[in-house]
Amino acid sequence: MTDAIWTGLINLVGNPHTMGLMLIAVMIGIIVGATPGIGGRLSIALAIPFVFGMDMTQGAVFLLTMHAVNGTSGQISSIMFGVPGDGDDAATTIDGYPMAKKGEAGRALGASITASGVGGIIGAGVFAVMIPLLEPVVLAFSPAEFFLLAILGITFIAFLAGKGQIFKGIIVGLFGMMLATVGMDPQTGTARYAGDYLFLWDGVSIVTCVLAVFAVPEMIALASRGGSISSLSPELARFSYRQLFQGVMDVPRHWFLVIRTSIIGAVIGMIPGLGGSAAAWMCYGHAVQSSKTPERFGKGAVEGVIAPETASNAKEGGSLLPTLFFGIPGSSGMAVMMGAFLILGIQPGPAMMTQNLDLVWTLIWALVVGNIIAVSFLLFVTRWVALLTFVNGAVIVPFILVLVSVGAYANEGQWENLVILMIISFIGWGLMRYDWPRAPFVIGLVLGKIAEESLHKALGLWGTSFFTRPLSLVLIALIAATIGLALYNNLRGKNAMPVGAGS
Amino acid sequence: MNLLSKSALGFVALAAATGAAQAQDGTAFYNGKTVNYIVATAPGGGYDTYGRLVAEYMQKYLPGSTFVVRNMPGAGHLIGTNAIYAAKPDGLTLGTFNTGLVYNQIVGNEGIKFDLNKFSWVGKAAADPRVFMVAAQSPIKSWADLAASKEPLNFSTAGVGSASYVETVILTRTLKLPIRMQTGYNGSDDQLAMRRGEITGTIASRSSIDQFVKNGYGRMIAQIGGTEKDVPQLKTLVKAGSGQELLDLIESQSEIARLTAASPGVPAPQLKALRDAYRKSMEDKDLQARAEKLGLPVEPAYGEEIAKMIATALKQTPETAALLKEAMEKPKK
Repeated sequence: MTDAIWTGLINLVGNPHTMGLMLIAVMIGIIVGATPGIGGRLSIALAIPFVFGMDMTQGAVFLLTMHAVNGTSGQISSIMFGVPGDGDDAATTIDGYPMAKKGEAGRALGASITASGVGGIIGAGVFAVMIPLLEPVVLAFSPAEFFLLAILGITFIAFLAGKGQIFKGIIVGLFGMMLATVGMDPQTGTARYAGDYLFLWDGVSIVTCVLAVFAVPEMIALASRGGSISSLSPELARFSYRQLFQGVMDVPRHWFLVIRTSIIGAVIGMIPGLGGSAAAWMCYGHAVQSSKTPERFGKGAVEGVIAPETASNAKEGGSLLPTLFFGIPGSSGMAVMMGAFLILGIQPGPAMMTQNLDLVWTLIWALVVGNIIAVSFLLFVTRWVALLTFVNGAVIVPFILVLVSVGAYANEGQWENLVILMIISFIGWGLMRYDWPRAPFVIGLVLGKIAEESLHKALGLWGTSFFTRPLSLVLIALIAATIGLALYNNLRGKNAMPVGAGS
Repeated sequence: MNLLSKSALGFVALAAATGAAQAQDGTAFYNGKTVNYIVATAPGGGYDTYGRLVAEYMQKYLPGSTFVVRNMPGAGHLIGTNAIYAAKPDGLTLGTFNTGLVYNQIVGNEGIKFDLNKFSWVGKAAADPRVFMVAAQSPIKSWADLAASKEPLNFSTAGVGSASYVETVILTRTLKLPIRMQTGYNGSDDQLAMRRGEITGTIASRSSIDQFVKNGYGRMIAQIGGTEKDVPQLKTLVKAGSGQELLDLIESQSEIARLTAASPGVPAPQLKALRDAYRKSMEDKDLQARAEKLGLPVEPAYGEEIAKMIATALKQTPETAALLKEAMEKPKK
C-alpha cells in the first residue's frame, strides 16, 4: 500500500508531460467553472475526443483535474455579482454577495478559494481513508435514508430563514417544493403542470431558477440604486492583498467547521444519487445551525462562504469512489467520466484495487495537486478580478444579464428556459423587495425532488415499515432535534425582539 | 492538385448553375454544407458516443461537409426526435434517438409530433439485446428459479411509460412472472440498488449491464435477441400463448438500435449519398477499431431495410395496441 502511495505520486509529478497536461486541465476547468451554466459534465463530454491519443494515466489525470477544479472557480461570479454558476454555488451567493456589497469581495474570494482548495484536499484524504470502508457505508444508504436525508436538509430552512421569519421561510420553501413537482411523475407516467410544453417534462431547470432568484433581482436592485456593487470605494474598503490574505486566514480560523463540512461533503458525494447541490446546501445549513451567532448569516458571514465551498470540492473525491471501485457512477458528471475511463482502457470495478492501485493513488494525488495549482493561480489573479465590484453598475449590469441569459440557455440548450427565467425573476425580485428569505426556495426545489422520488421508492419496497430501519431511526432523531432546536431558537428570538426593536 | 480542386469547384458551380435536377450526384451536394446531427439525449451516454462516432465518419465520406453534433435532451427523447422530424427536408438535418419510441407511437402517446414511418431512414449501428439480470447474491440462479419463485421479486424499471417499464410489464404479464415492479430507477440507480439487495433484478439492454456483470455483481439468466451464446434465449425457455405478438415486438425492437434518421422527404440523391456515406462509415476499419475499444458493438443495417423493420414493428393489430396501451398505464392497485 505505502509503495503504491509513492509510486502514484511519482507517476504524477515525476512526469513533465503529465504535469503539463494537468496545468492545461486546471486552466480549462477554471474557465469552464467560472462561466455560469456550463457544468463539469459538459466539459468532460467535450474533452473526450482529445484524450483518445493519451495514455491511461495522463488521460485520467487530465479529465479528473479538469472536473475537480470546476467548483473552485464557480464561486467567483456568485460572490462578485450574485450570479451562481449552478445549484452548488447558489449557497455561496447568500453570504458571498453581501460581503462583496460591503466592500469585502477580496476577503470573500480569498476565503472561498482557499476553502475550495482545502475542501478538495481533505476530500482526497477522505477518499484514501474510505477505500476499505466504501462498501458498508455506501450500501447503508437506501431510498429510505435518501428520503430522510432530504427531509433533514429541508428542516434546515428553519435556520436559514432567520429569526422571526420562520413562517416566511416555510412558505418560500414550500413554493420551491411545489415547483419541484413540475414534470413527468415517475410513478404514474403523467406529465404534471407541464401543459403542452415538452421541455417541462424533465422539471423546471434548477440552474435557471437559481439565476432567476438570486442573480436577476440583485442586478435590478443594483441598476435602480446606481453606483457600484460595493457600497464602499476601493480606498475606503482598503482593498489590497491584505484583505485577500484576511480571507485566506479565515479558513484556518474556522478549521473545525472546515473539517466537518469537508467530511460531510465527501460522504454525500460518495453516496450516488444525492448530488452536489445537496452537499453544498446541507453544509451551509449545518454552518448556520452550529453557529453561535446565526443572525449574521445572509448578511455576509464568512462561514457561509466557507462551508458550501469546502463541501462542493470535497464531494469530488467522494464521488470518484463508487465510480472507480463499483463501476457505478455517483453523478451525471461521473457517468461521463466513467465512459471516458473505458475509452482510456481503465476498467472501473473491484479489480481496480488489486490491479490498478498505482493509478488510484495517482488520481488521489491529482486531486491534491490540481487543487493546489488552482488555488494558487486564482489567489494570484483575484486581486484584479475583485476590482470589478467597484465598477459602476451601469457598466456591469448589462454584461451580467447577458451572462445570466447565456447560462440559463446553455445548461440545457432550450430557449424556453429564458421565459422561465423572466417569470421566476419577478418572483425572486418580489421576495427580495419585501425582505423574504430566498435560500429556502432553492432548498425546496433541489431536495423536494429527491424527497419525493425516494419516498415513493421506499414505500414501494418496504411499505411504511421503512421508518424502523436502524439508520432511518438515527436520521429521524436528527430531524426531530433540528426541528426542536429551530423552534426553541425562534421562540427565544421572538421574546428578545422588543429589546432589539429599539435599535 | 491546384488544378484538380479548381476543376472540382468548376464542376460544383456548373452543377449548381444547371439546376438541382441535373445534380445527380448527391455527394457533391454536401460539399461546403453544414450538416446538423441531433442526439436526443444529454452528452456522455451511449446515444451520444455512437452519434459522435457516426457523425465523424460520415463527414469523412461526404467530402467538404461539416457535421455539427447537437445534443437536444428532454422528455424521453421526444424533444430531439420532434426536432429532427420538423427540420427542412434538405438532407442537412439528421440524428439519433431511442427505438423505444415505437411503443409510444403505437399507443399514440401525447407529445409525439412525428410519424416514424415517414422518417428518411439512413441506417442503424447496432443490435441491443435485452437480458433478465439478477443480483449475484440473490438465490435466483436460473430462469427456472425465477419462474418458480413463491415470493414476488422486486424488479427495477425507469419511470412509468419509459421503454424499460413497458417491456417489463409486457414480459411480466404475458409470461405471468412473479415480479413486482419498482419504478423510478434511472441511470445506474438500479445497479446500486441490486448491490444493496433491495432490488432482485432488472430487464435491461445487455450493453448497459455488461460491466456490472463482468464485475461479478450480477448474472444474466435469459436473453431476448442478439447472437451471444453465453445466455439462453428466452424463446427456448418459455411458451407464450396469448401475447406472443408483444414478445415478438420486443425482439424486433432489440434488433434495431442506435439509429440514424433524417427528416422526412429528403430528395433521393441526397438520401442515397447519406446512406452510402453511412455504409462506408460502418465498413471503415478505423471506426470498427474505435468502436471495439469503446466496447460498442457494430452490427449495421441500412436504409430501406430499417424502414421495413420499423413499418413491421408499427403495424400491430388493434388488440395488440390495446394490450400495449394497457401495459403503458399504471396498473390499478
